Amino acid sequence: MIEFLASYEPGVVTWLMLPAVLFAIGIYGLLTRRNAVGILISAELAINSAAMNFVIFNRFITPAKVDGQVMSLFIIAAAAAEVVVGVAIFVMLFKHRRTMDVTRMDAMRR
Amino acid sequence: MLSAAVTTVLFFALLALAVAFAVATVLTRRIFRSAIYLMGTLATSAAFYVMLGAEFLAGVQILVYVGGIVVLIVFAVMLTSSGEMLEDHPSALRRFLGFVVAAGFCATTVFVCFLTEFKSVAADKAVHAGDAAAIGRKLLDRGAEGYVLPFEIISLLLLCVVIAAIVIARKTGAAAGSGAGAGEQG
Repeated sequence: MIEFLASYEPGVVTWLMLPAVLFAIGIYGLLTRRNAVGILISAELAINSAAMNFVIFNRFITPAKVDGQVMSLFIIAAAAAEVVVGVAIFVMLFKHRRTMDVTRMDAMRR
Repeated sequence: MLSAAVTTVLFFALLALAVAFAVATVLTRRIFRSAIYLMGTLATSAAFYVMLGAEFLAGVQILVYVGGIVVLIVFAVMLTSSGEMLEDHPSALRRFLGFVVAAGFCATTVFVCFLTEFKSVAADKAVHAGDAAAIGRKLLDRGAEGYVLPFEIISLLLLCVVIAAIVIARKTGAAAGSGAGAGEQG
């Protein structure tokens, strides 16, 4: 039993399946949500899986260095910045338009 | 041998949990529940970081993502009363197109991953370098391999974001009328 489980220890390719699936789920959310906050949440899923990719490559390709983890830190900082500005914009938009439906925010197209 | 077996079991159990949370995040009709499921996905990601030997990053993930970003999103849900608004069921065409794009991306990525030869280093030979001190030295290293310039740019970006958020979300004089400045919020 233990030998069987140990023979299936995840390698780098198996690990990389995880962010790929999470990113695909994030893309699905981005394309199907209509609420602006829902789109932001889906984007967070995708960003998080991108950061996880860096950590996986760090662990399996260059385990003696920390470059991948530093990149993940930058990604987390950028994601935090994005959410702060996004939430501010959404609150302001809601004050003016009383809606969060992105299909009705087309002022710049007309 | 035993640790490899434990890693296998943990990896696939957490994989199932993370994918289940992520699917619930994009499928639920209530945005507030979506935010809570997102918190679950991010917490499982932190567990994956611990399994990958990046303990400091796992802590940052919990602090910034679960403690900061999700709370901000919950605030956004409350302030915009999206909590009461139910996401209407997306049309079949939208769901189909979204599924096709997502499945196509996933299939392409998996295919490329299997084709690529990774110069993977054996886990036994791996030097454990993921502690916070190494990351801190790397961030402030002014040499060719250091990240001091991106580090400073990120700090500048965060400052800009704080100012921008206050400017965007505050009450402007024209819109607020005589009550300008009384109820500023950032």
